[in-house]
Amino acid sequence: MNFDFSEAEKQFHSALESTIAEVMDRKQQKTGDLAHHQNFFRNCQNVLAGIGYLDLGLRSSANSPGSTLHLMACQERLAAASPAVYLTVEMSSRMFGRILHRWGTQAQKDMLLSALTSGALLGAVAISENAMNVTNDPLTTVGIEKDNHIQLSGIKNYVINGPVANWIAVVGQLQDRPAVFLVDTHASGIVVHETLSTMGYEDVAIAGIALDHCHVPKEMVIVPPEETALIASLQRWENQILIAASLGMMKAAIDEAKAFANAHHSGGKPVVAYQEVAFKLAEMLTFYQTSQLLAYRAAWTSDTDERERDTLTLCTKVFCSESAEKVASQALQILSGTGFKKGNKAECAYRCAKYTQIAGTSTEIARVMIGDEVLGYR
Amino acid sequence: MDFSLSKEQLMFKKEVVQFAKKEIVPRVQEYDLKEAFDFDSFRKLGAFGILGLHFPEKYGGEGADVVTTVIAGEALGEAGVDGGLTLSYGAHSFLCADTILCHASEVQKQRYLPKLATGEMIGCMALSEPDAGSDVASLSTTATRKGDRYVLDGTKMWITNGPIADVAVVYAKTAPELQHAGISAFIVEKGTPGFTAGQPLVKMGVRSSQTSELVFSNCEIPAENLLGNEGEGFLMAMQTVEWDRSALLAPFLGTANYLQKKCAQYAKGRVQFGRPIGHFQAIKHKLADIRIFGEAAKALVYRVAWYKDQGRPLNHLEAAIAKLFIGDYSLGPTNDAVVLHGGYGFTHEFDVERVFRDGRLAPIGGGTSEIQKKIISKLM
Repeated sequence: MNFDFSEAEKQFHSALESTIAEVMDRKQQKTGDLAHHQNFFRNCQNVLAGIGYLDLGLRSSANSPGSTLHLMACQERLAAASPAVYLTVEMSSRMFGRILHRWGTQAQKDMLLSALTSGALLGAVAISENAMNVTNDPLTTVGIEKDNHIQLSGIKNYVINGPVANWIAVVGQLQDRPAVFLVDTHASGIVVHETLSTMGYEDVAIAGIALDHCHVPKEMVIVPPEETALIASLQRWENQILIAASLGMMKAAIDEAKAFANAHHSGGKPVVAYQEVAFKLAEMLTFYQTSQLLAYRAAWTSDTDERERDTLTLCTKVFCSESAEKVASQALQILSGTGFKKGNKAECAYRCAKYTQIAGTSTEIARVMIGDEVLGYR
Repeated sequence: MDFSLSKEQLMFKKEVVQFAKKEIVPRVQEYDLKEAFDFDSFRKLGAFGILGLHFPEKYGGEGADVVTTVIAGEALGEAGVDGGLTLSYGAHSFLCADTILCHASEVQKQRYLPKLATGEMIGCMALSEPDAGSDVASLSTTATRKGDRYVLDGTKMWITNGPIADVAVVYAKTAPELQHAGISAFIVEKGTPGFTAGQPLVKMGVRSSQTSELVFSNCEIPAENLLGNEGEGFLMAMQTVEWDRSALLAPFLGTANYLQKKCAQYAKGRVQFGRPIGHFQAIKHKLADIRIFGEAAKALVYRVAWYKDQGRPLNHLEAAIAKLFIGDYSLGPTNDAVVLHGGYGFTHEFDVERVFRDGRLAPIGGGTSEIQKKIISKLM
């Protein structure tokens, strides 16, 4: 048992924080222009790639171990700095990158993986469909074999980076087996719908896509081995991304509220001197540290215990995502009128927190799955 | 970072669970309903090595580290040992015996520790008073030096094991004008003239643990019964916080597992509307919430224990977070367990009601949740 990070990990964290500061210095111009949006996030990826952030979870190096725990500790740092950059980068490099790294052919890796992890390409992963619930409902996006290519048809909703991605990894079925179709967004038969206007993560490009006999070369299809739980792995990875997002939101909200409580005076003293404010901060920090340790343990278990990892990840996602909403809400209460104005990190966290409860495995489904595990039904 | 337990630790945990299920748990309900202390079970804990787990072997202990004591506490909770017995064990081993281990003379250690390790002697810590609970520095029990004796005067309250203790670590002011810096710690044996224990208080929960007043009226004790030096008592009391935030919280981790098993068993057997209630989402959600609490709390407690094993000074912020989380958020799962059992959950027939009652002490004893929030907010 060891609750310390190694020296190498601590050094990497420190270097990452400097790199993140550099990324944050680049202000995103909200022009509504997708090309501009794409360019901005590719530049962010490029800076992060320089320190090896995009390789985390894919490769390990002398100064950056490849463990999921180390990845989680790094992810939360970026998530605290910018929810939008974080989610864009993670769905591009991490989710897409992991699919390639785990199941891709060498040719697919040569073509796309380096470009993704260097920031040269933006990727997207399309999983959700109309039912919005791949746990309960089978995938309806289907590929049909035709000569030397696959014709892919289906509708995918809420594709993060959909409007700006160069490539989209579309999860569907091929001959009744789960498969991933690597789709060039310039291919025929793919239509990316209008970018959604959302309550949170408003700087992330999210849209549905429609595939109508979309042409996918056979060599751009990934069919994992039979024993691989493709959907379970994707869900676990997405849940891990959302867990780290929750940690980042909590950190940002606490920092914002704490700074305000120390600076803002009322009744002749800083508001932190009042128990109602101080105690809220204490509760917030308690939720954050509890979430953080749980997230680290779940990440560690992900690498060390196949039997326990899925349920523990689900427990963690429920706890962290719900804690994020509570912490952000408490922060807004402390910030009072200031918090109600747009533009501060606490109100951003409050709006984004709901996404972490809905996306990946929703908290309702997660609780059912955890309950079934306790009952011995799964 | 590494969250693993060694094979030996896992084996030890399994052994404690098996021992407790066989030797102690069958008697738990009876002693809770009788509001009686189970001396036999307590001595069995001693014989098994639990009471003196962290004492050095030369004092009859096992020489275990703090993480191992947490494992033992978790295992007792997981087996279904009640909050009363685990509280008594905690107060005995960590709040009383450990203070003697750390601060008593060699003669005193030899006199008390082996018997505390076996349970032949029962220990208690007397710190709180009727008018000094959270504000412990304002305690008013005095210890006045008279030649080669100290004379103790005052009343202590909420003393776990008070009615049954053979030896007490008592905190009193040798220099009242110095506030907390004037607090000293003493060993007082049962039967010392001027020292009486009150009747056991009738409590809502932890009923197999006996709690009472201790009254000191012109109670004379030898000067060598002073632990350490005058004025060091407050620091000694604060040192017990490390145990309060690790080993004493450990049973809650195990109890979460115990509740999961009990509730799952009930949910699979109870049939309503033609199917086991475990098939309904509302029940699955309750089971999930109990599980989530248990998982969330685990690392908080082990972190405090691990840091203590590393010899690091107590991180008061992290220790307070552990206490606050378990204190406030263990109540939800115990409530869920009762509700899941329906009407049966409200009866003594199913022990979830006892767990609910026992758990109510969590945000109060050992430092209230409000005090933890005060500590956390000050340190952050």
